[in-house]
Amino acid sequence: MTLRLRLNGRPVQAQADPAMRLSDLLRDVLGLTGTKIGCNAGDCGACTVLLDGRQVCACLVPAARAEGCDIRTVEGLAEGGALNALQAAFLRHGAAQCGICTPGMLMAATDLLARLPTPTEAQVQDALGGVLCRCTGYRKIIDAVLDVAGPSPPVAGAMGARLPKVDGPAKLTGAERFGADALPDEAFLTIRAIRSPHAHARFTLGDFAPLLAAHPGLLRVLTAADLPGARVFGIYPTGKDQPVLADGLVRHRGEPVCALLGDAATLAGIPEGDVPVAWEPLPEVTFAAGGPDLHAHAPGNVLCRGLVARGDPATGFAAAAARADIATATGFVEHAYIEPEAGYARRVGDGMEVVACTQTPYMDRDEIALILGIPPERVRVIPTAVGGGFGGKLDLSIQPLACVAAWLTLRPVRMVYGRGESMAASTKRHPARIAAAAAADAGGRLTAFTFHGDFDTGAYASWGPTVANRVPVHAMGPYAVPHVRCTTAALHTNGPPAGAFRGFGVPQAAIAGEALMDMLAAQLGLDPWDIRRINALGEGSTTATGQMLGAGAALPECLDAIRPRWQALRQEASDFNRQAGVLRRGAGLACMWYGIGNTSMSNPSEMVIGIGADGRCTLFSGAVDIGQGSNTIMVQIAAEALGVPPEALNLVSGDTKTTRDAGKTSASRQSFVSGNAARLAGAALRAEILRRANAGPEAMIMLHDGRISVVSGDAATILDPAAMAPDAEGLVLRGEGRFDPPTTALDAHGQGIPYACYAFAAQAALVEVDTALGTVRVLRIVAAHDVGRAVNPTLVEGQIHGGIAQGLGLALMEEYLPGRTDNLHDYLIPTIGDVPEIETILVERPDPLGPYGAKGVGEPALVATAPAILNAIADAIGARLTRVPATPDRVLAALAR
Amino acid sequence: MKVFDYVRPASVAEAIAAAAAPGAVYLAGGTNLLDLMKGETLRPDRLVDVTRLPGLDRIEWLGDGGVRIGALVRNAALAHDAAFATAYPAVAEALLSGASAQLRNAATVGGNLLQRTRCAYFHDPASACNKRQPGAGCDARGGENRLHAVLGWSEACIATHPSDFCVPLAALDAVVEIEGPAGRREVALEALHRLPGDTPERGTALAPGELIVALRLPGEAAGFAAHARYLKVRERTSYAFAVVSAAAALRLEGGRIRAARLALGGVAARPWRARAAEESLVGVEAGEAAFRRAAEAALAEARPSGDNAFKIELARRLVRRALALAVAGTPARIPALPASPFPSVAGARHDA
Repeated sequence: MTLRLRLNGRPVQAQADPAMRLSDLLRDVLGLTGTKIGCNAGDCGACTVLLDGRQVCACLVPAARAEGCDIRTVEGLAEGGALNALQAAFLRHGAAQCGICTPGMLMAATDLLARLPTPTEAQVQDALGGVLCRCTGYRKIIDAVLDVAGPSPPVAGAMGARLPKVDGPAKLTGAERFGADALPDEAFLTIRAIRSPHAHARFTLGDFAPLLAAHPGLLRVLTAADLPGARVFGIYPTGKDQPVLADGLVRHRGEPVCALLGDAATLAGIPEGDVPVAWEPLPEVTFAAGGPDLHAHAPGNVLCRGLVARGDPATGFAAAAARADIATATGFVEHAYIEPEAGYARRVGDGMEVVACTQTPYMDRDEIALILGIPPERVRVIPTAVGGGFGGKLDLSIQPLACVAAWLTLRPVRMVYGRGESMAASTKRHPARIAAAAAADAGGRLTAFTFHGDFDTGAYASWGPTVANRVPVHAMGPYAVPHVRCTTAALHTNGPPAGAFRGFGVPQAAIAGEALMDMLAAQLGLDPWDIRRINALGEGSTTATGQMLGAGAALPECLDAIRPRWQALRQEASDFNRQAGVLRRGAGLACMWYGIGNTSMSNPSEMVIGIGADGRCTLFSGAVDIGQGSNTIMVQIAAEALGVPPEALNLVSGDTKTTRDAGKTSASRQSFVSGNAARLAGAALRAEILRRANAGPEAMIMLHDGRISVVSGDAATILDPAAMAPDAEGLVLRGEGRFDPPTTALDAHGQGIPYACYAFAAQAALVEVDTALGTVRVLRIVAAHDVGRAVNPTLVEGQIHGGIAQGLGLALMEEYLPGRTDNLHDYLIPTIGDVPEIETILVERPDPLGPYGAKGVGEPALVATAPAILNAIADAIGARLTRVPATPDRVLAALAR
Repeated sequence: MKVFDYVRPASVAEAIAAAAAPGAVYLAGGTNLLDLMKGETLRPDRLVDVTRLPGLDRIEWLGDGGVRIGALVRNAALAHDAAFATAYPAVAEALLSGASAQLRNAATVGGNLLQRTRCAYFHDPASACNKRQPGAGCDARGGENRLHAVLGWSEACIATHPSDFCVPLAALDAVVEIEGPAGRREVALEALHRLPGDTPERGTALAPGELIVALRLPGEAAGFAAHARYLKVRERTSYAFAVVSAAAALRLEGGRIRAARLALGGVAARPWRARAAEESLVGVEAGEAAFRRAAEAALAEARPSGDNAFKIELARRLVRRALALAVAGTPARIPALPASPFPSVAGARHDA
């Protein structure tokens, strides 16, 4: 039918199927991709637009409903090319991180502000409650809406400045291109994977000829037999085990068995049941019960084991005045980034070009090369903006099938996951089953710690070895313990592959370890703060791997900073509990530490900064910004090193052809590792400019009008880039930086230097438990984080807020059940109403190795939150939950014990 | 998504004629329908778009003090109608506790009554589900059923009805006006949703082609306005379906209960009117002892359908809480966090 409507103030006419979703009409027919699709079910709100002034989910509005209506989208907000007041407030407050929910948030807030120009916080939470954000923890979004009329103060300097994100404006206007926004029309051929409905099954593919004959738009069906190169992929060079397409056997629900290639409308019209796959289900190997071996190379379904051992725990337990034991369990947790995986691939000559969302373009490149059977140099990976990752976009998603299809057909091919497919096919946080014990002497000093954790790594290896190796190093928590034995096993099951998820197993371990600290404190009559302060790792402490910590270890400072808040929260809880009633409050404290970068492994980053003949200075950064702000951080650090304002730098980001390998956006490593590379690159360019100008190290560099001025005292030298000879990359002056954190391998007992730098934190939570109904509300969180040096305090706070929100989800509501929670209304993540007021305390004690002292904060933000909340629940109700999430049934069961 | 036929009738009569075709479904707000169509749970051949039918978007006050709500009135419009929220505050509270602002702006009253179950097995084509495919079996029975029914379920189906809105409607004797091929009829809301028995595929009392045109609340039900609450236990603060919910409405006279209404949500395939509990409350002194008896009566027939025994005791406790809060009185304005059993968070309140 022909639709007439008003779109952003202008009359528009379009041909559309009446039942087409308004979101598809806007994006695919009218070309406005600022409206995002996160779920197509009304659960996430990313597609929120205004229909006759009221917010609605465009994905649930049939196009026919929009006829004659006034539609407003994010593209209609900017006024005369400039950000409007709300967009400017979002930019100023750092309210957009990855930016995928931002259009929805802006539209929901626009609806609110039109009716209530000066809303209260509760009104903001109510109006924005239908838009999910996985990055920000919502607090800065609330701040931005409340401060919509506020001024934008000038920002000066580079290091330490609250610089608005360099890629912020694009995220606020709808101009940013995420995986599904970057699809060119010529890449209309689409992949639809057919996935296993069974956790474990043999299967036989039937004759596809009738299906192909019945659907002229179906070009071909890809099966394992079509794969040109490696048939399996995986993170580690040895032990690649995950099939691109299963070959007769599936090991998890959601595993692809064949792929249909055709135009999107044809593929959508083929019922799943018409695809000839004959299934023979097999008994499921579960984490609880185990089962027959799933892989020949993993006897007993043990993928790998980890160990850190020091001293003799038996001696430590024997000498102790108090001992505590605990067994804890956690389930699968879904990353729930709001952007489902999407992108396209096209063959360019004898090479392959892939445009997709990813956290790790260089690993993708190498893996795709293996799958296609071509050298890595012939693969180019161009990352799109990433709508949230949290570790989940470190594994390949759409790339293998899109690349294989494009390779075989010589045509561009797209693949866009739906929400259900994203949740069924992507990796998860490892479920953990932990048994741990700790002991302390009468003064509260820890004497021994033992830990064993089984981690469900699911059907395939993915990042299982990383979890198995990282957890034993961290499991005893950030405390000095003389006698330690920590072991782990990563076990295969028919669950979804468990991979990388913000913290790599350490959050699960911290739930056990921080419970033990409170249990020991209770036995010894100590305050939870005191026992942590007594044992806190600091400068000069020796860790359980035998590593002596340097000046950057600032847990004592974090604990000292949080102490007055902790005491106030304790007091508030005990004051409240003096009144009778079913509501009980509790305060909980937890500490954490986290090694920055990969464990005992070379993980270098390289950066290039250069000046072209036109005088423009560009930072070439291979570090992928997944919303956390590394684009901005790298610019700030490089500008500081070069000695120019950040605005003087252009940025080219994350393209395997134009930037150097900066490694993965993972392990909280970009600020520390790539930040150092950016600092070294900036310093090298500065040295080169000063050398050319024959100026001393104190000279000022200014870039203006295509020239470089070098001012030293009263003397000024002008360099003219136009007069210099450009190199092969078009640069006339360049600086390069490379940094690889100094670590050593761990020996057979797990002794060595696994990380060059650690981040520490202490978080306190105040909760209220309804002891009749079993519900828990978090009232406040205080987070003191050792960040070395905050390169950009707004972005650091944003990371902490977002990590806390994910930690809160882990503690209270999140558990992924394969096939049962493949959407965002059965899989619950925190909404804007769930995240309480958060006070962040940035402890800035520069790390000797960090760029200007900085260290990572991405994962550290999350680790302590769930343990702090669980300790607070225990404080409130006098009973401890050992299984998360703490849903009402579990809280009531704990109360009944 | 299947290719289908789309019609936009100009009158109720035309709509009913158009819906007589096999495989036809009505389309109103679309918030549930488009989601079901995506998942292949529902594959209609024809969409009959009723959104532009005249006269169905009005809230009309009746001679007995009751109200007639057109089927196309949006949830948000009804919840924020000041006169409605004053007369039927528990209904407004239930509406505002459901879904999100976006969905409340789009969803219609008629469509909300027909919301399908959220049972994950119903939505998963790979699972056996008697509701989706009669005779296929019920994988929920031995599956993940922590949140499934504890009342009125059968071996064939243990799904629950997800609506918040319908719970106070059931308590307050709402009536549904239906037009269909056989003419006009009325059904008590309580009888609109069917318990599964041996035929879980028939979720409602509607015959094929029938269209809900309006919902009526009797004037008598407005007599509970001073002591009416809707409470909902959910696993996150907002935008979550109920684990268990309860609507309680009382008429009090000198500390004694003259009349009581009570219904539960999230416990059965329909909003569960607890008549025995209501009777136990009439004429007795409002207090914990009476509430405890009522809660026992309300859940007397409850039994777990799986790993969900906790819901039975949780429902008892929620009933007691809802009755106690109803006695305390309807708040002057709906709390900022509607239907939360927690005391209201400080700050703004809804101007309903």
